[in-house]
Amino acid sequence: MAGAPPLPAARLYRPNRFVSLPAELDPATYDTSPAKRRADAERLAIRSRLKRQYLLQLNDPSAPAVIENPALIRWAYAKSQNVYPTFRPTPKTSFLGAAYGLGPLLFWIFVLKTDRDRKEKRIQEGKQKRSLLSVFF
Amino acid sequence: SEMSKDMMPGPYPRTPEERAAAAKKYNMRVEDYQPYPDDGLGYGDYPMLPNKSQYERDPWYQWDQPDMRHNWGEPMHWDFDMYIRNRADTSPTVVPWHTMSKHFFLFLSIMLIMFGLGEIYPSYRPVGPKQYPFNDLYLEKGGDPNKKPPEVIHYEI
Repeated sequence: MAGAPPLPAARLYRPNRFVSLPAELDPATYDTSPAKRRADAERLAIRSRLKRQYLLQLNDPSAPAVIENPALIRWAYAKSQNVYPTFRPTPKTSFLGAAYGLGPLLFWIFVLKTDRDRKEKRIQEGKQKRSLLSVFF
Repeated sequence: SEMSKDMMPGPYPRTPEERAAAAKKYNMRVEDYQPYPDDGLGYGDYPMLPNKSQYERDPWYQWDQPDMRHNWGEPMHWDFDMYIRNRADTSPTVVPWHTMSKHFFLFLSIMLIMFGLGEIYPSYRPVGPKQYPFNDLYLEKGGDPNKKPPEVIHYEI
C-alpha cells in the first residue's frame, strides 16, 4: 500500500506487562492543558500535605522511635486479612481454585502411579531387578 | 495498630460516596482512584495503580524512602514487593519488547532445529574400526606371555 502514513511511534513500540512506554513517546508528557495542570496541582497538594506530616514526625525531638506508615499498614492488611472477607465464589474463582488446588495433586498422582505400575510390570516380567528399598524407589 | 477500622482496606466500593471515601482513605484523588474489578478474587477496595516498577521513578527526587523510591503515605502497588529495585524492572527498553523476543526466539529455534537435525542425520568423514598394534595388544590385555599370540594383520599388500 504505497503512501500509507507512518504509524505513531507509541503504537509501534507496543508496551506490555514487562516494559512500559518511554516518556518521550507518551503523548501525556506533552499535554499542557489546564485540566492536566489542575490535576497535577491537586496531586502535589496531597503529596506536600503528606510530606509535611512525615517531616514533622521525623524532626520531632519527642518523636516515637518508629514512624509507622499507614500506607504500608493498609497494604499489608489488604494482602493478608482483607482477602478472605472480600472473596466471593464465582465461576472464575471456583475454576481457578480447582485448577491450582486439585490440578497438581491429580497430575502427580497420575504420573507417579503409572510410573510405578510400569516398573512393577517390568519386575514381574523379569526385565528389572527389585531394588533394595523398593517401597521408596 | 491504633488505626480505626475505617482507615483499613474494606470491601469493594459500590456507591460514589464509598468511592470518594476510599479515595480519601488511600490519599488519592477521586478521579485517580480506580479499584480492581469486582471479581471476588479478594482485592476489595484496594486501588489499581499502574504496573510500573520502582526503577521508573525519578532517581533525583528526594523521596522519603530513597531506596524504595516511595513517599510516606503514598498508596503502594499491590505487587509492591515485586516492583522494588532488587526485583522486577519494567523500565522502557531501547529496543521494543516484541522485536527483542522475536530475535531471541528465532535464533534459539533455528539453533535447536539445526542441532536436532545434526543429531538425526550425522555427517562426518568415513571411518573404520580402530587398529591396535602388537597383535591387538595381546600382552597388554592380559594374554599369556609363554603362549604364541594369534597373528593379527591390519594391512594388505
